[in-house]
Amino acid sequence: MWLANTRRRASSGETSRRRDLLRLLGAAGVAGLAGCSGDGGAGTGTGTGAETGTSAGGGRSDQVTYTSASSVDAQSLNWLTTADSTSGAFVTATLDGAWAIKPGQEIFPLWADVSTDDGRVYEIELRDNLRWGGDYGQQTAEDWVYMIRNVFQAEPNWSGYPNAGDWFRQNPDSGQREPIPVEKTGTYTFEIQLFDVDPSFPFKPVMWRQQCIPRALLEQYVPEKDGEGLRQDEELNTLAYTGNLGPYTFEEWDRTSQYVVTRNDDYYLHDADVPDRFTNAPYFEEKAFQILKEESARLGALRAGDVHSAGIPPDKASQFETLESVSVNVTPQPYARILVYNMRANGWEPFRAKAVRQALAFAVNKRAIVENVLRGYAEVAQTMQPRWSKWYDDSTVVEYGVGDRYGSETTRSRLADALSETEYAYDGDALVDGSGEQVTLTLYFDQGQPTEQTIGEFVAQEIQQNAGIAVEPKSISTSTFQDKFVKTSPPQGVEPEWSAGVFNGGPRDVATSAEPWDMSINLQFNTYPFTPASSKGFFEKQGGINFYGYYPEADIAGLYEQASQTTDEARRQELFGEAFGLISEEQPFGFLAMPSSISGYDERVVGYDEEFNTGWDSQTWRFR
Amino acid sequence: MSMRWYVVRRVLWAVVATYLILSVTWGLLALTPNPAAEQLQFRAAASGGSAEAAREAFEARRGLDRPLWDRYSDYMVNMVTLNWGWSDSRSQPVMEAIAGAIPYTAVYSVPTTILSVLLGLSIGLYSATHQYTRTDYAATFFAFFGYAIPNFWFAIVLLLVFSVQLGWFPVVFDPDVPLVGFAMAHQLVLPVVVLVTGTIAGVMRYSRAEALEYVQAEFVKTAKAKGAGEFRILTRHVLRPAAVPLMTILIGDILGIFLAASYLVEVVFGIPGLGQLSYNAILAQDTALVLGTTLIFTFVAVIGNLIQDIAYTILDPRIDYGDR
Repeated sequence: MWLANTRRRASSGETSRRRDLLRLLGAAGVAGLAGCSGDGGAGTGTGTGAETGTSAGGGRSDQVTYTSASSVDAQSLNWLTTADSTSGAFVTATLDGAWAIKPGQEIFPLWADVSTDDGRVYEIELRDNLRWGGDYGQQTAEDWVYMIRNVFQAEPNWSGYPNAGDWFRQNPDSGQREPIPVEKTGTYTFEIQLFDVDPSFPFKPVMWRQQCIPRALLEQYVPEKDGEGLRQDEELNTLAYTGNLGPYTFEEWDRTSQYVVTRNDDYYLHDADVPDRFTNAPYFEEKAFQILKEESARLGALRAGDVHSAGIPPDKASQFETLESVSVNVTPQPYARILVYNMRANGWEPFRAKAVRQALAFAVNKRAIVENVLRGYAEVAQTMQPRWSKWYDDSTVVEYGVGDRYGSETTRSRLADALSETEYAYDGDALVDGSGEQVTLTLYFDQGQPTEQTIGEFVAQEIQQNAGIAVEPKSISTSTFQDKFVKTSPPQGVEPEWSAGVFNGGPRDVATSAEPWDMSINLQFNTYPFTPASSKGFFEKQGGINFYGYYPEADIAGLYEQASQTTDEARRQELFGEAFGLISEEQPFGFLAMPSSISGYDERVVGYDEEFNTGWDSQTWRFR
Repeated sequence: MSMRWYVVRRVLWAVVATYLILSVTWGLLALTPNPAAEQLQFRAAASGGSAEAAREAFEARRGLDRPLWDRYSDYMVNMVTLNWGWSDSRSQPVMEAIAGAIPYTAVYSVPTTILSVLLGLSIGLYSATHQYTRTDYAATFFAFFGYAIPNFWFAIVLLLVFSVQLGWFPVVFDPDVPLVGFAMAHQLVLPVVVLVTGTIAGVMRYSRAEALEYVQAEFVKTAKAKGAGEFRILTRHVLRPAAVPLMTILIGDILGIFLAASYLVEVVFGIPGLGQLSYNAILAQDTALVLGTTLIFTFVAVIGNLIQDIAYTILDPRIDYGDR
């Protein structure tokens, strides 16, 4: 076939590299925009001539390129300047980073191990066989401390490093947001001295998969704070400094087309005390990421065998499950698809009442969304944590929209009770306002996302049928939604009592979005199964992300804080369990479903599994 | 002399027009909120971080933390000095980005243009001389079919049928094969077919209409009476007078070699050409790259108009620009 003897490009199913993880787990970001989560990797490979080698017993498979398909290209290989997951995936193929997290939420040391006695001061110990490329020599603690202090914690942020905020925390002594102290304690060791106890620290993106840059390279730009020079540095943009620090070495990047890395024969894990499968890794001679923006092209390439992995949308998954050449892998992911209610002054005021939100939760059949719209590739969502998470406590979570806690009669009776002291009441099947007019609400969904549109229309239909509220589904682009609906601010000239930033510009009676809206499913929220405390801002009156104007009745944020500073894991589970139970009971938003991630792999590819965060060990994947 | 003065004036006006277009483009980009910045802010806020810090970091990375006038003057000076700056969305010099994309656009737009002009003219002239025959109807149907069918959809159908199902052509574009060679031609068959069927209708119908004006002309009848063959009549007696008005679209089509970068076709077939480059630059609000690509398109369009006008005088000496 045409690709025989040429590179096979593939994509990203395995791209659980740091920034991918940031996206998937919420490390870097939290709430993914609807539609972002379906992209993905791609790939399949039919077995055309290129894959001639086999690997017996985990041996190397020569002459083989593993190719995955990606819907988007990277922005840069200079990771100091990027915040997108594709760039992160490209770079992480050549730079392992500090450590990985195994599916059971267990640290797997890569460049470094982490330890702590008290959950506040963490010691990072680097391996002693890490070598930079070029003339930069050994990677030492000096490189890390210099980079953290002079780039990550620089004020102002002259480099534009996107995750600089992770390196600042509130100091309880001064009450100010200050840089986290970092001290070198040996050639290969340094300490990170948090201001407060934080047992989740190793699982946060601050150091998880964190990469480093040689001090000597940074010294060219730090003294003059030369951000432009740093952005355009050739070594940073061609990954020339990666040495033995990753399973692959940069080969080429044809922008908008492909990214190729080749096996690193000096990979530092070859000499490390790690499971056998790592000591010969990687098993692909080459790894390629093929950029295919059009979904049909990605899926066609997977089907035809031109790529070895690709993301598959739910409505196409069943087609691939019947193919012998492709193995469909379904993994849970942390994003919750939710129905956001606008409780601000330009929304529907009754949403402010917990009883109204609870009543509406009876109106939508979540099981139908999971089975019929998402084709079974999802789980029902009930709170800000997936059921498979260790922080989810069945005994505290109140379920809605399933079994006998779904239906028209229950919804109407509860809604009638909840609205009994307002102008709203039922007139026959319809909910009407004080003037006898049918209550009509808007529901926004993301333009160009067929699955989301179907969910939106289904939810609208359910609320109309079961609650007697007319719902008008409306499509809107992501950027417009962000600009006109998510940003909130007080009217010009009005000074609000408080402000929590651009997305929560003040009390809900004062600060509103530019355009009125009632409900939306445009955003998916990250539930952070590894670091659940990261979602605290969603449930605080003055949370920076509370664009919907939710005022919690229970002290959910207090429970979050208490849990996040508790080192006893059993107690922490108890506290988080309680918090997620309260969230499910208060229904700050309508939790609908947690879609799974679906990837197709060439049937000869082995190494992945069906657990969350599969891909943490992608350097050990191989052809059977 | 008058012709020369006309050309000089047109070129000077082209410089002014280009400056205005670049300034307006820059202004629009500066005014438009950047979705990427907003998304980063949202992510930061949603993970408990500072949206404000995320915005500041983004602006620092993009150089947006400088005063508007500084940014504007820098960009304009860069344009004039041919140092078109750094593409933030691709992390490479703008010149390099454009130079890298042009060959991939050229490899499909050159054959597309040649084929659509040749086939369009041929079919148009044939239809004109065989008006209302079955072959005329068939040619018209073919032209309108190609025109009516959406390129994007047609490309996907061809890809699925001929690449995925039949395996005749590759699904994935390989940029590593030589630009001129069988492998490149092989993988460009489907994109070229899609584009040719989409563009042939205009040339065909226009040339048919123009040719029809002369098919029954006295000088054509005279040529026939003198025993001139059909091919000679078409090319020497019909095409020549018809060519003057046809220049309007022919020059445009030839310039299409540079401008016909089709974003949609590039997306479906994964070709890293100018279409994707310019469109992605706009989406990413990559100011330096947008201005670079805009300058190229503006230059080609302005110069193209000039060539078109000059071509009239060459084809028809009766046309004079002396008093314009």
